[in-house]
Amino acid sequence: MTVLGLGPHGETAAPPERVSLLPQDIAQARERNFRVGIVVHTLQSDWATRLVRGMIGTLGECGALVIDVADCGFSAETQAHALDRLRRQEPDAIISLPVANADVAEAHRRVSEDGIHLTLIDNAPTGLTPGRHYGSLVSADNYGLGQMAAQLLSPHVGERARIGLIGYDTEFFPTDQREIAFSAWLDRHRPDVTVDIRRFSAFADVRRLTGELIDRAPELAGLFVIWDGPCHSALAELRHRNLRVPVTTIDLGKQVTEQLARDQNVVGIAAQRPFQQGEVVARATLTHLLGRSCPSWIVLPGIAVDRDSVVQAYQTIWREVVPRSILEGLSILKP
Amino acid sequence: MATQDQETIASRAARARVPDAATISMVDLLNLLRTGQATTRQELERAGPFSRSIVADRLALLTELGLVDESASGVANGGRAPRLTRFVAQRARLLVASISQGALGVGLVDLSGQLQTEHHEVIEPGLEPVDLADRVLGVIRRFHSRHSSGPELWGISIAVPGPVTLDDAPFAQRTPDVLPGWQEADLVGRLIDAFGVPVWVRSSIDAMTMGEWRAGLGQGAGGMLFVNVGGRVNAGLVIGGQLYRGASGAVGLIGQTGIAGGTGGGTLDSGAGAAAIRDAGLRAIEEGRSPALADLVARVSKLSVNDICQAAQMGDAGSVEIVSRAARLVGGTLATLTSMLDPQLIVLSGTIAQSNDIFLAVVREAVYGGSHPLVTRDLQIHRSQLSGSAALIGAGWIGTEELFRPAVARDWLPAGTPLAHPSFAAIRGARQDGAGRDPAQTTQGVKTA
Repeated sequence: MTVLGLGPHGETAAPPERVSLLPQDIAQARERNFRVGIVVHTLQSDWATRLVRGMIGTLGECGALVIDVADCGFSAETQAHALDRLRRQEPDAIISLPVANADVAEAHRRVSEDGIHLTLIDNAPTGLTPGRHYGSLVSADNYGLGQMAAQLLSPHVGERARIGLIGYDTEFFPTDQREIAFSAWLDRHRPDVTVDIRRFSAFADVRRLTGELIDRAPELAGLFVIWDGPCHSALAELRHRNLRVPVTTIDLGKQVTEQLARDQNVVGIAAQRPFQQGEVVARATLTHLLGRSCPSWIVLPGIAVDRDSVVQAYQTIWREVVPRSILEGLSILKP
Repeated sequence: MATQDQETIASRAARARVPDAATISMVDLLNLLRTGQATTRQELERAGPFSRSIVADRLALLTELGLVDESASGVANGGRAPRLTRFVAQRARLLVASISQGALGVGLVDLSGQLQTEHHEVIEPGLEPVDLADRVLGVIRRFHSRHSSGPELWGISIAVPGPVTLDDAPFAQRTPDVLPGWQEADLVGRLIDAFGVPVWVRSSIDAMTMGEWRAGLGQGAGGMLFVNVGGRVNAGLVIGGQLYRGASGAVGLIGQTGIAGGTGGGTLDSGAGAAAIRDAGLRAIEEGRSPALADLVARVSKLSVNDICQAAQMGDAGSVEIVSRAARLVGGTLATLTSMLDPQLIVLSGTIAQSNDIFLAVVREAVYGGSHPLVTRDLQIHRSQLSGSAALIGAGWIGTEELFRPAVARDWLPAGTPLAHPSFAAIRGARQDGAGRDPAQTTQGVKTA
């Protein structure tokens, strides 16, 4: 699997295998009883819960104590408060998924100025640089995921068709990368296709925006939604209007996976590997805390999922048995 | 839409009939605020030959143009709190782009040169200049489309992979021939057509040096040597608190200097550049000196410089030797330059220098051991922490400094927008009259500009 995206400062990606902990590293980490705080954008998504589980498990194996897991509810203000609160606890490290760029930069800068090690997930706030403000940024290959989503949608879209893209209105590195990559792939491989773009700032807007796309182009031939949560709302609008439109999205959330399995609009999903990403985040943090060299931009390639590969992908990504409803949707089990 | 925009700019230019002396003082006052040398009216009055009434009059004009804000108060120092006079960096923004061998960076900066957001993409090696120009335009257009809301666009500053000769013209009119076929690819002209704003072009090494000096480790350094080790080995120079560009704009081509080596010499580029490192990696595999690289190539069928540097970092003996040899060659050349220039700081950049600890350690050893002790007494040698952002940050600083250079700003400031600068109007007029214009792009450009 090849990583297509460069880092937020143009860095070349290091593979996750580059960050390993040997038995002596683990023993050394256990002796030091590191204290770690975690701040994530949300705890309400399948992706986020798996990411956090991956982190906590690996940190636990290495004797590190997780002193808090803060849910920012996608709010920059909440994240700044959470980081300030955690700073006062003087942990050895804070692991953060910055929910914005400029709006959370100062709060993250204060963490590194306090001498607390900072590991970032998916996004680097404006002006923060590796080595100076944070150790590593561990990310999914969001550029690759955006291209994958376009590639999965393309065979379902006729010539000179008009498709929709529902993006995220906030300056956010991962979603910006996905959107730019999706358009770039179409520009190069399907220049005949026209893309109408709408962006939401709150989930509640997604149904209305989907409706706007359809009202503007009733012949809408395809739709890409920037991740699975808002995609679920877009799918609800398509169901409400009784429309069949091929849809792709990013993240193998349970609801969109079920729609893929049941052949209901969703034709493909570009999937991240949140559990594995969480493990790599924890390993990178511990590597830094042990004073060892660690790459600044570590990237996990995505997985292209369609109906044929969804069961294996689900098991790989979620590390659990595929729900009965999905197996029934694929006619692997009888209802 | 295009006609309306042009009419607005033309009418503002015609309306602005400020006498020359007034324009000069307005530019000078704005630059005092922009560079942080003054933050209140009192400081402005003290900083130059400006009476209270002149300061008040010019600030009123600058406020009307949206370039100055006096709504905030400072800290009281025994009496009434002074009103702060601030440059409004968010009045407009510049697009910045950096084209290098294999990657393209694009970003947006405000008028203080602060990078707001950036994006980097791999570009396929060996693209024809016209195809490369297409790719660059496509990436810039998609990026700008993603960030289209916000202040208006006042210019585009590009860093290109080759020397750009010195030129006093306020804006670029044509694409410099940094590589064969570039002039014909007409990137600069197509950007002007597409976005309807002025363009500046500088070499990548100039832009990276400027970025490191203004926003990186070089902040405040009077003398800095910036060295980028990539496909080629180039250097930028800050002397006496200024970026030094040489007699023709081609300073720092140190990759062309000769090296004495056990394999018959050659140039620094041929001994320490990316191609040399990659070739050495392949040889190490063939000769069985690098199990880590052999294993990697067996899995992914290709070998990059980054792979060799990462293998070196992880202790692969063959890779350590390759990186060490390149570092010794670069360090030897830098030792000579250090004895000559006596810099305070050397900053190493590029994948080879930044992806492992070995390169830095060996360069330090070579420079400290090979230079005169007097010049190394306080010399610091570090790796850049700005990575690929350095060129974008530097391009932003170059664009804003050009935009507000007194000789340039005096010709547009009364109109309130550089789009009304007579030289830029002439460039646009010439392009609209002449050939090489792409009407399909112009429509979108006017919309976005």
